[in-house]
Amino acid sequence: MTVVMGFFGYLDLRTISSRLAYIKTADDILNDALEIRRYEKNLLLFHDETSLNELNKYINLLRKDVEGLKKEIVGRLGLPEYKKLSDRIDEYERIIHNIAKNPNDNGLIDRVREVARKIQSTTEDLAAVERASIDILLDHLNRSMTLLLLTIASFIVAGAVINMKLADGISNPIRDLEDATKRVADGDLSCRIELKGKDEIASLGMSFNVMQDRLSDARQSLELAIEEVHEKQEQLLEAEKLASLGRIAAGVAHEINNPLAIVNEKAGLMQDIIGISDGFQNKERFINLIQGIVASVERCRTITHHLLGYARRIEFIMGPVNLNHAVEEVKGFLHTELDIKRIVLESNLAADLPQIRSDKGQIEQVILNILKNAIDAVSENGLITISSGMKDSATAVISIKDNGQGIPEDKLKHIFEPFFTTKVRNKGTGLGLFVSYGIVKKLGGMINAESVPGRGTTFTVEIPVDFKQ
Amino acid sequence: MKEGEKDRTSVLVVDNEIEFASTLAERLQMRGYDATAVYSAEDAFEAVKKSLPDIMLLDHVMPGTSGVEALTTMKTCFPNVFVFLLTGQVDIEKELEGIRLDNFSLILKPVDISALTVMIDRAKLEMTNKRKLQEP
Repeated sequence: MTVVMGFFGYLDLRTISSRLAYIKTADDILNDALEIRRYEKNLLLFHDETSLNELNKYINLLRKDVEGLKKEIVGRLGLPEYKKLSDRIDEYERIIHNIAKNPNDNGLIDRVREVARKIQSTTEDLAAVERASIDILLDHLNRSMTLLLLTIASFIVAGAVINMKLADGISNPIRDLEDATKRVADGDLSCRIELKGKDEIASLGMSFNVMQDRLSDARQSLELAIEEVHEKQEQLLEAEKLASLGRIAAGVAHEINNPLAIVNEKAGLMQDIIGISDGFQNKERFINLIQGIVASVERCRTITHHLLGYARRIEFIMGPVNLNHAVEEVKGFLHTELDIKRIVLESNLAADLPQIRSDKGQIEQVILNILKNAIDAVSENGLITISSGMKDSATAVISIKDNGQGIPEDKLKHIFEPFFTTKVRNKGTGLGLFVSYGIVKKLGGMINAESVPGRGTTFTVEIPVDFKQ
Repeated sequence: MKEGEKDRTSVLVVDNEIEFASTLAERLQMRGYDATAVYSAEDAFEAVKKSLPDIMLLDHVMPGTSGVEALTTMKTCFPNVFVFLLTGQVDIEKELEGIRLDNFSLILKPVDISALTVMIDRAKLEMTNKRKLQEP
C-alpha cells in the first residue's frame, strides 16, 4: 500500500518534471517569438546589420526550440498546426532575408508582419495551453505531495508497527530473559519466564525454565544433604562428647572408689568396735552417726557404679526380646507410683511388632529411666503415652511422650550429659539419661529427645532388630 | 563365730591401700577370721609361701604389677587358695577373658562387710567340700 502510494507519488513527480521542462521550452518559444518581433521592428525601422543578425539568431533559436518541442506541440495542437508553425518560421526567415535585400518593399513588410503575428499567436496558444496545464500540474503536485506525505506517514506507522512487533517478539522476551538471568545470578532460582508463542525465543525461555527447575531441584537436594550432614555431624560430636565425658567420669569414679572403700571400712570398724564395747558413752548416737556415714558412702557407690557402668563394655545377655512385653513389665514396676500420683500411662503398642534380638534387661533399664523422668516431669493428673512400632524393617522404635512442662532448648541439648538434671536438687542424680544413652549406644541404637516447653517432651529410642557388635 | 584356732578361716588381704587393707583385716578379725593384711604383691607371695591362707582378697590395681597378673601367678602357684579379686572397675570381665580360673570370684569395691563374710564362708565351704571329694 505504502509502496503503491509512493509509486504513484513518484509517477506524479515524473509528470511534473517533464511538464516543467515543457513549460520552460514553451516559454522560451514565446520569448523567442517576442524577441523576433522586437528585432523585426528595429530592422524595419533602422535596416541595420545588428538587428538582422539578432533576428536571424532568434529565428534559429525558435526553430530549434520548436523542433525540440515537436512531440509536445503535436500532442497539444496537432501535427498540421506544428507543420504550419514550422513552415511559417521558414517562410518568415525567407521574407526577412528578402527584406534585408529590399528594405522598402511594403508588400514584403506586410507579409512579414502577418507571418510574425501568426507565429506569435501560435506560440501564445502554446503558452496558454501550458498555463492551463500548470493548474493541472499544481493539482498533480498537490496530489503527489499528499501521496508522498501519506507515504512518509505510512512508513512511520509501518516502522512503529514493525518496531512493536520486534519488541513483542524478540526484544521483550530477551529483556525478560536478561532480567531473569540477573536474578539467577543473585541467587533467585524461583523466577520463571512467561512463555508467549512458539518461536525460538519461546523455546529459549522454556529451556531457561527447565534449567531453573533443575537448578532449584538440585539446590533443594543439596540443602537437604547439607542439613543431613550437619545433623550427622552434630550427632557425632554429641556422641564423642558423651563418650569422653563418660571416660572422664569413669576415671574419676574409679579414683574415688578407693578412698571411698577406706571411708566405708573405717566407719564400719568404728561401728564394730562401738558395737562390742560395753558401757560406751553415747553408744546409740555414735552408731546413728556412723550409719549416716555408711549410707552416704552407699550413695556415692551408686553414683560411681553408674559412671563406671557407662564406660563399661556391658556383657550383653542377648536373646529374643518382645519390646511390648518389656514395656508391660516396666509398667508393672511403676504401677503403685503412677496410682499415687494419679498419672495416666497410656500404651499404644504395635500388635504386629516382631521379636528382636537384644538385651531385654538393658532395654527395660532404659525404658524405666525415661518413664521415671516422665513421671517427675508431669504434675498430678499428667498423661504419659508409651508407643512401640517399627521405623523400618531393621529398626524398632519405642517412644515415650509426656505432657509435662517440657525442657527449654538450651537445656535439651545437655540432657544426656552426666550430672545434668532439670529436676529439683537431690531429686535426681543426673545419671539416668546418661546411663540410658550409654546402653542404647551399646545396643547399636539411638536415643533422642524432642521437647516443646509447656507442652511436653518425647523421647524416642531406636533399637536395631538384630544386634551386631 | 568363735571357733577353735584350727577351724578359723584364714584370710589374706592384699592391697596397696594400707588403710583399707588393715581396717578390713581388723574388721574380719573382729568377726572371728584369721585375717592378715599385706600391702604389695611381693609381700603377698612371701606370706602365702609361709602359710597358705584359705581365702585371699586381692586388690585389682596395685603399683608394680597388675592385679590380673598377680592373680594368674597366684592361681598358678597356689591353686587351692580361693581368690576374691577386689575391683572398682566394672568392666574387669574383659581383662579376664580367656583366663580360666577355678576358685575365683569378683567383688566390687566398696565392699559391704556382711555380704563379704557370707561370700568368704561360702567359698571356704566349697573348698572344704572339694578337698573332701579329693580325699579317698
